[in-house]
Amino acid sequence: MKENFSGRSRFVNYLVPLCLFAASWPVGRTGGALYALGALILAGLSFFLFRHLVHQINQAEQRSCELDEQLIQSQKLAAIGELSSGIAHEINNPLAIIGQEVEWLRHLFETSTLQEEKDRGEFSDSLKQISSQVDRCRDITHKLLNFARKMDPVMQAVELNRLIDDMAALVEKEAKLNNINIIREFQKDLPLVTSDPPFLRQVILNLLNNATYAIEANGTITISTKDNKDGRVEIAVADTGRGIPKEHLKKIFDPFFTTKPPGKGTGLGLSICHGIIQRVGGTISVISQLDRGTTFTIRLPIAP
Amino acid sequence: MSSYKPKVLVVDDEARFRETLIKLLNTKLIEATGAESGMEAIEKITENKYDVILLDVRMPGMTGIEALAKIKKIDPLLEVIILTGHASVDTAIEIMKHGGCEYLLKPCPVDELTARIDAAYERKVTRTKVKAKTP
Amino acid sequence: MPSFKVLVVDDEFDFLETIVKRLQKRKIDATGVGSGLEALKLLEETSFDILILDVKMPKMDGIETLKEIKRRWPAVEVIMLTGHASVESGMQGMQLGAFDYVMKPAKLDDLIEKMVQAYERKLLREKQIR
Repeated sequence: MKENFSGRSRFVNYLVPLCLFAASWPVGRTGGALYALGALILAGLSFFLFRHLVHQINQAEQRSCELDEQLIQSQKLAAIGELSSGIAHEINNPLAIIGQEVEWLRHLFETSTLQEEKDRGEFSDSLKQISSQVDRCRDITHKLLNFARKMDPVMQAVELNRLIDDMAALVEKEAKLNNINIIREFQKDLPLVTSDPPFLRQVILNLLNNATYAIEANGTITISTKDNKDGRVEIAVADTGRGIPKEHLKKIFDPFFTTKPPGKGTGLGLSICHGIIQRVGGTISVISQLDRGTTFTIRLPIAP
Repeated sequence: MSSYKPKVLVVDDEARFRETLIKLLNTKLIEATGAESGMEAIEKITENKYDVILLDVRMPGMTGIEALAKIKKIDPLLEVIILTGHASVDTAIEIMKHGGCEYLLKPCPVDELTARIDAAYERKVTRTKVKAKTP
Repeated sequence: MPSFKVLVVDDEFDFLETIVKRLQKRKIDATGVGSGLEALKLLEETSFDILILDVKMPKMDGIETLKEIKRRWPAVEVIMLTGHASVESGMQGMQLGAFDYVMKPAKLDDLIEKMVQAYERKLLREKQIR
């Protein structure tokens, strides 16, 4: 559908000035050079006019493409959320049995005196390993359920600048230790936003934490707010960190996507943020350049 | 502290889970028995005395929530701990409505579970005392 | 000023005594206890609208207490209060359902304002569930 539309507009782009030019040609021959010149200017003008129009159409198309992508992304996330919470539920039950059997084995083992010293050491080491891996799985499934649970937001008036400033202050001390500066570029007289304050705090804190992680040391985080004048306000968190490779950018909001080493971080942080922002009626997007940094942009409706 | 052991009924349709949990609880000075369905649980509760019920939510036949409502009708002082692999805020809120029960997510280490059972048992004792005082 | 009941939980006795007195002076129904366990015990008998919870406490720390409170009394709104700004515990606290995470020393007026908002949230949520 979209392909057809843009193909047609490109065709129109060239056809119309050509026709105008052709129409002006015989006039120029019979009615003098002036007419021809006028027609030529007209044709040229219309050519530029159409080019401009087509450019606008293409831009609008790109925007709608982005919107489509966002829609697909959120539908995908909803589906994954549903699926993963189902799986987490199913896994919790066998996990509970494994955990209990380990505890039972440990109980039997502690009350027995049969095995040799060396075997005992290995046996108890294995048991410890099984139970710590069960703990690890449990951590994942419980976090996943936290992520998927449908908590309805409670909408109340939020002073956005102040809320962000509070969270920045919380991150600032640890950031300073690594020589990371936090710059606040808040628009004054930002309108009060109706949203869920603790949810927003969670998202801002998460983004600031990710930004410090991306910078590691020596860099700047710029956090800004502005009124978009379209019923929405915009929050941007920009870091001067290592940036995100293009192939990762599309997956960044997917649950379990992480670049951290195994065992650190579950890869749920950003998908939780995405879920939250969606539930309060906003959008979150990301742009990034390798070795330059990353910017997360949140757009929130002023009234729900 | 008296040497009385809290009497616990483990209600879960998964046999292996129920049986091992009973064995483990019995090593922790808790007198545990099992029931494999909500119906069986209700039968046992009407016939015997228990202090704490561990209740699964998803079971064939009668769900844990339905069983919970019936249990609370038979003996409002009975402490119920919901122990489930399926958690959602909706179920939690629904469960809270019935009052006097806790909500735990599987898998749950046995030590944590015994701590909850002890606490629930203590609550039951104080509640029973309060009720005895008010005629 | 809407009327709500506040429980302050902090192991530093001097701080606890002062803040409870100052809140009471502002006609806020405030009570103080010195540990997470005491808070849980008191919640079993009395209901509170808002908890001010210190993060760093011996035995049962603020995060553990928060977890327990949100499990058993999800309607209570909790404001975490911390002497050491730790991002990790801040994220944990917010994820566990705290209303806010505030650094010490906090101005009393700011704290009261946050309590008012937390109480508003509690009322709104109750309305939503009904």
